[in-house]
Parts: sequence; structure tokens; C-alpha cells
Amino acid sequence: MRNKTLSFVAIFCGLLLWGCYPDGPANTEDLDVVITHHNPDYNFVAKGTYAMPDKIVKITGNLQEGDAPVYIPDVTATQILARIDNNMLALGWQKVALNANPKPDLLLTPASWETTTVYYYYDYWYWWYGGYYPYWGYYPPVSYSSYTTGTLLMTLIDPLDVGANGIPIREWTGAINGILTGSYAAGRVNPLIDQAFEQSSYLKTN
Amino acid sequence: MKKVLYILLFAVIASSALAQESMMSWQYSMGFGTGDLHDFIKPASFRGVTFNYNKFIKPGVAVGFEIGWNTFYEQKDYATYTSGNFDYSGKQWRYSNQVPLLFNAGYYMSPDEQLTPFVGFGIGTIFSERRTDMSQYIFTLDAWHFALKPELGVLYNTDGASLSLSSKYYYGFKTGDLPAEGFFTINVGLVIKR
Repeated sequence: MRNKTLSFVAIFCGLLLWGCYPDGPANTEDLDVVITHHNPDYNFVAKGTYAMPDKIVKITGNLQEGDAPVYIPDVTATQILARIDNNMLALGWQKVALNANPKPDLLLTPASWETTTVYYYYDYWYWWYGGYYPYWGYYPPVSYSSYTTGTLLMTLIDPLDVGANGIPIREWTGAINGILTGSYAAGRVNPLIDQAFEQSSYLKTN
Repeated sequence: MKKVLYILLFAVIASSALAQESMMSWQYSMGFGTGDLHDFIKPASFRGVTFNYNKFIKPGVAVGFEIGWNTFYEQKDYATYTSGNFDYSGKQWRYSNQVPLLFNAGYYMSPDEQLTPFVGFGIGTIFSERRTDMSQYIFTLDAWHFALKPELGVLYNTDGASLSLSSKYYYGFKTGDLPAEGFFTINVGLVIKR
């Protein structure tokens, strides 16, 4: 009897402990992340000008198979590009046209993409016993959910610094990533863009 | 960590069939990380449980086994972390699960008195899982440490059962991708004697 009681106590305490297992993030913004990478051998200080397109390409489809490039809406792109320009200016960079003379030292190429993850669960044994009880229906009940993440990628390349494969080396890459919540929220995106440059002090020039 | 719970439950239920002149104890355990574990997660753990089974082989001397589970957790504020040429900014959620599986030996002074001080020593392994969640990314390291555990405690004996208060120090030696990890625990529990 005593052992049985102890077992019940053990089960109760175990379930209590399990229930106390710590939770993770509570808000969508908690999942925002900024990642930057740089080429430590590149001397940013010796450079001073950059060029940037006035659109942000959306990475989707396949350009190599002839798909036309897709861009994010201008009203959104304008705000993002202005924020990037402000940060570059603050670091001492001068923006010039792509066909300027002399040519820009660096090219800044922004891009974005979205990824939707769907996760679902159903009783996978249903194939075996589901048909045996016709009133349950042929297919198992499925529960599912999904979320979409958005990423803004900013890449600095030097057209004259080419790798062994003939492709320009990425001297700096900044990526901001988070869960999308519908409309564009400048108050959420701008600090993330700022953070990408703030944690990249080696970009400072002049 | 479901498997940990299953192991704990199995250990308790299986021990019901075990022998005489023995003690089973179920303890609530508070953990305090030291060294590298403390560097990884600073707050103390108030999520811990330990099960012990000990059998007396001669008066005052018992041997047995122990299985436990301590979860350390910390939510880190927004910060920037550097790894090589990468810099990451965001919030982090850090978890460390420590599951000791040890053989124990203990010496119980004045076992017939109402208060029974005891010392113990354990040797075995600690399964350790260290996890960092950042954004949607999860970084996990796990390892089985070779482990030692000294213990100091006291039993308050009543008819048939005792209350226990003890302090233990678990030390898992460096192995695999994980450094050496150690933590103190303070444990309160119920002891059933047979």
C-alpha cells in the first residue's frame, strides 16, 4: 500500500514537474533576429561610395529559367531603402549612381523572401482502424497550423573583388528575419535594419 | 524530455518490488549551477526531482542508485553575440537538462536516533542537454558525462518514514562538445523504509 502511494506521489510530482517546464517566446517580435557576416580581409575604410537599386527584388521563381523578377511593393521598398541609405550615410558612405564616373566602390543589393512553414498532425494509425468504424469517416481528423517568416537580405559586393569561381565575393551580408504579421510595420523593421549596421562598426569609412 | 519522465516513473514503480532493509526516497531538488553551467545559465533551478533507492548491506552502510532531473532555464534579454565573422542579435532562451544516473554508497550515523546525519558518494553518468533557442533556430548540444557526486544530509525519522534534507554536488567531466558541468542541489524529500 505504501509503495503504491509512493508511486502515485511519483507520478503526480512528475506530471507537476512536466507542467512546470519553462516556456519559450511569448510575442512575435521576440523571434526577430539580425545576423551579419563580413569578410575580415576586406578593407572597408579605403572605400567611400556605393550604389543601390531603387527596388527590392523578391526571391521567388527561377530567373535562370526565364521567370521575370518580382519586386516587393514600391511603397514598402521606398521606406526600407531610405533606412538603409540613412545608415550608410551615418557610417560615412556616399551614394552614387551605378553608372557614375568614377564607378561606385561597392554595390549594395537588397533582396527579400518569404517562407511559409505548415505543420500538422493526424493519427497515423488511422489507416489501420479508421475504416473499421465507418462512422468515424474515411480520413483521420487533421489539425494543422502555419507561420510565415520574412527575410530582408542586404549584401555588399565589390565588383572588382572576384572569387575563384568568377562571382564577386560578399564583403558584408546583413539579414533580418522574423515572423510576418500582415502589413508592413516600419516601427518593427526599422530598428532591425539599424541594428544590422550598428553591429557592423567595421563598415565605417572616411 | 518525455523519456526522462518515463525513466523516472519506471524506476519508482520497479523499485516497489525490491528488497528488504532498504530505503526509497523521492526528493524535490533545487539546483545552483557552477562554472561553465553557471556561465550559460545564471538563475537557480527550481525544477528538479530525484529518486533514490538504497539497500543496507550492514548497519549504517547502504548502497543503491539514484536518478534525477534538473532543468535550468534563462531567458536572455536582447543582445548581440559573436561567433567567428558572424554577429547575431536577438533574444535567447536557454535550457539545460541534467539527468544524473548514479550508483550510490552512504554511511548513516546513529540510524536508530530521531536525527540521522549521513554522508554519501555517487559515481556514474549525467546525461546533459544544452539548448539555445534564438528566433526560429534551435542549437542543441548533448553528452553523457562521467560524473561524481558527494552528498551530505540528515534524516528526521518518524515511524516508518523519514523526512530528508540534503545537499549534493554533481560534477560531470568534460566530454564531447560539452565542457565540464557542475551544480549544487538542495533536496527535501520523503524516505520510506522497509
